[in-house]
Amino acid sequence: MAEYNKVTDEVVKKLVAICGEKYVTDSEPLRYSYMARGIMGLEAVLPEVVIRPANTEEVRKILMIANDSLSPVTPAAGGLSGGFALPAIEPGGILMDMTRMDKMEVDTENRVMIVEPGVRCGDAWRIFKKRWPDWAPPIPDGAPPGATILGDAIERGFSLVTGRYGPQADMIMGLEIVLPSGEIFRTGSWALDGAKAFYRWGVGPNPDGLFLGSQGSMGIITKAAVKIVPHPHFKTIVAYGGDSWEHIIEPAWEIGKYEMGISDNTVMVQGGNWPLVMTRWPKSNVPLDYKFYEKIGIDEYWMNSEVWAHSQEELDFTLKRIDEIYKDYEVKKKTICKQQQLHPKQIASRLKKPNLIAVPYGLYEAGFLFVTVYTPWLESSRCAEMYCQKMEEHGFPPVMWVASIDHARQAIVMPILCFDSTEKGVLDRIRKWNIETTELVLDNGWLNYRPDPFVHAPMTFSKSKDYYRMLVKFRKVLDPNLILHPGRLAIPWASVTDSPSPLEDE
Amino acid sequence: MTSLEELRKINARCIHCRACQYAYSNEPDREGADEEYTGMMLSCPGGNFYGWEGYFNSGRMWMARAFLEGDLKPSQEMLEIIEACTTCGLCAEQCTNYIDTVDVIEELRAAIIESGVEPLKRHKMIGDRVLEEDKRNPYNDPRSDRTAWHDGSVDDKDMKVAYYVGCTGAYRQQGVAKHTASILKKLGVDFTVLTDEVCCGSPILRTGQKDILKKVMNENLEMFKDFDLLVFSCAGCYRTFKVDYPKQSGKPLPFKVAHTLDIAYDLITEGKLKIEKPYNKKVTWHDPCHTIRHIGLSIEKEILEKSDNWLLDSRKAAKAKEAWYERPREVIRAIPGMDFREMYRIKGNSFCCGAGGGVKTQFPDMANDTARERVKEAASTGAEVLLTSCPFCITNFNDAVKALKKEEEETGKDLSAVGSKIEVVELLELMDQLLD
Repeated sequence: MAEYNKVTDEVVKKLVAICGEKYVTDSEPLRYSYMARGIMGLEAVLPEVVIRPANTEEVRKILMIANDSLSPVTPAAGGLSGGFALPAIEPGGILMDMTRMDKMEVDTENRVMIVEPGVRCGDAWRIFKKRWPDWAPPIPDGAPPGATILGDAIERGFSLVTGRYGPQADMIMGLEIVLPSGEIFRTGSWALDGAKAFYRWGVGPNPDGLFLGSQGSMGIITKAAVKIVPHPHFKTIVAYGGDSWEHIIEPAWEIGKYEMGISDNTVMVQGGNWPLVMTRWPKSNVPLDYKFYEKIGIDEYWMNSEVWAHSQEELDFTLKRIDEIYKDYEVKKKTICKQQQLHPKQIASRLKKPNLIAVPYGLYEAGFLFVTVYTPWLESSRCAEMYCQKMEEHGFPPVMWVASIDHARQAIVMPILCFDSTEKGVLDRIRKWNIETTELVLDNGWLNYRPDPFVHAPMTFSKSKDYYRMLVKFRKVLDPNLILHPGRLAIPWASVTDSPSPLEDE
Repeated sequence: MTSLEELRKINARCIHCRACQYAYSNEPDREGADEEYTGMMLSCPGGNFYGWEGYFNSGRMWMARAFLEGDLKPSQEMLEIIEACTTCGLCAEQCTNYIDTVDVIEELRAAIIESGVEPLKRHKMIGDRVLEEDKRNPYNDPRSDRTAWHDGSVDDKDMKVAYYVGCTGAYRQQGVAKHTASILKKLGVDFTVLTDEVCCGSPILRTGQKDILKKVMNENLEMFKDFDLLVFSCAGCYRTFKVDYPKQSGKPLPFKVAHTLDIAYDLITEGKLKIEKPYNKKVTWHDPCHTIRHIGLSIEKEILEKSDNWLLDSRKAAKAKEAWYERPREVIRAIPGMDFREMYRIKGNSFCCGAGGGVKTQFPDMANDTARERVKEAASTGAEVLLTSCPFCITNFNDAVKALKKEEEETGKDLSAVGSKIEVVELLELMDQLLD
């Protein structure tokens, strides 16, 4: 395991000299308040000190001190829609709470927005509503108001228009990055002094991919320039049911193929199965049998299509074509994909952004974990089936959500593992399930999108050793002392744990 | 009796989504007058003031979890952080996982103190005063003066109705007590007050001193048990009797309880009371957390506790809660001539005055900062009068307006846009003036 030093009083003094006493704390209770484990991961180590920098220059100075003193550093602002990506590195190190860095600039002429790490979705939505109502803020779909735009973008999360444009990382035009050496650089055209962030690929080979999805393990991102798209005011949701995963996945693919046509208007495509509704309520206070849900009009499986258009005519045309595609599919596959009759309130609720849609899964049994897997779109039905079967085998309800990325090219398959977090030994049960399903995921050539550093990452890298070796090399160039949080990819493995490395047999 | 341990599973529902930091966290498209008051707004008094995660409810829930797990040891430092919360309940209103955040925070305070940590200095002082036989109030005033404000019936055990005055009415805002007595008389309610009345225990419970709360609760329950109805003018006392006594004693109350405004509301909606005198002013209304949000949330919870299908019954519960939030507005609308203007954050999403939960006593800067933000919001409506009905809100708003006036004098700046000219008025006082 990599060697780190504890954060000494001397280091704390230096940190205070940078940000001021008001913005540095080693208070144990306050450090515990950043210790939320949930949704995206369950392992964390308590930070030794928390600091709240105000700008890039302060971030630079903090990193240089951390580098000199060999203290691990974890940046965090909004966290991961739930919980924080806390350091899984002993002895804990410095947690950089980026919430004070909350400036944003919007350039509607060049259709780009520059955000600092602390710009939260709820605030961006509020400001756009009044200042730029014809533009959509680049916020994630389905994240709560406290999630941040930059956090979502660099995590390659969803946007409001992922069904059309792909993950939010695809919308990035430039990054400002601070390295532990104290070097600051920008990517894309932004690298050129005085230039705007108008061209992602910039003056030469673009290294931004190294930083996207790295959760700060390669460098701390202090600004991101993200594309913005129009926010047309003709919007609705249509939903179609089906009797299997296949019968909701395939028709969405038929629609997705109409690029430069109705598929471009279909900005979000997402669906799931009936337990997705059940597990939003306490297990002890909700019917557990499908019969009840069938009676209140919930299909066993369904897919929503969110459609945006610049006119009613365009909206009507898109909906008509979607309906025709479903009808053709029904004939071709001799099945029924009934259109749900959504109440205007249901439509309004599904169009609401940001929203709390992901939150109530904590109500079912007081604990849940999102696991996210990317597959080619048409393979997502098989992946969803596999996960549901394994969840049932391990005594968890089969709760599943799927969504389309980039015109149904890829799918995100997201099993939602609802469990009683107060149950003794439940984490071992989850780990067992996680290992078993990850083996199947990798055997099928699918990917964990937000890997768990202790299960998904080592298992994945043991099947992609050359790539892992290269990542470690890049990491060591950018952060030779490995002081930055290793991220969910756990690169290099030795910075996280003494357990055998994915390359151990070499 | 509740305890933090009993709330373990409720607390475990927190996934740290941080929606609780916002007012209108599930209403991104709520329309407001300008950019500041539109959509969702960061509205946690403690979090907004201090900025650290641990001062927001989202951080506090995880401190509670670490404490329950035995990872975080109780300390004076921890108590300082946990006490810097007005327990306004805005976070509970936002939580789609129905976490009783106020209960968790109050029980966490109590658990820290029960583990041997001394209550914070000023909190301990009020607890001690409430126990002293010659006081029994947090204000250090003589017990013998408790009913000095009153020239009507005292200690008449044959009456069916008692007015529980509370310490603030008895010692600090006697005007409110007198107006309440006068209103009750005008509404035809015969009542008595008791000289032996002791503090309801609200500030004691809020600050985690449960042993003292138990003592005063038992005394009050015994003292008033033979009355049919207890009426209140103090939001804190009312909430404590209505919500906390049954919870803490494990038994239903032996009498009915009603805030004086509830009695007025019933008479107005039944058509038995009509206010004739006009009040020709521009007015806005501040919802006191204790009588509005806390009671609304408890109504919702009561319905859900009886339900075996929350999917169906949650709407009914939310509707009942909303109906409660509407009640003071019905009373206000019954006043002729008034130009009533709502603030942006209202009802369950109302922003706290900043005084509750022991904050005014122990953290005056946070209390003042919070009150100033609310007064500014009131001023943004163009109102001349900020109406409310809670002694702590009244005091804290008046202090904020005074501070603004002082700042005006010192700097020569006109601060009327942020509330320096606003008049803070207790609705009970106004009602008394308007009723014949």
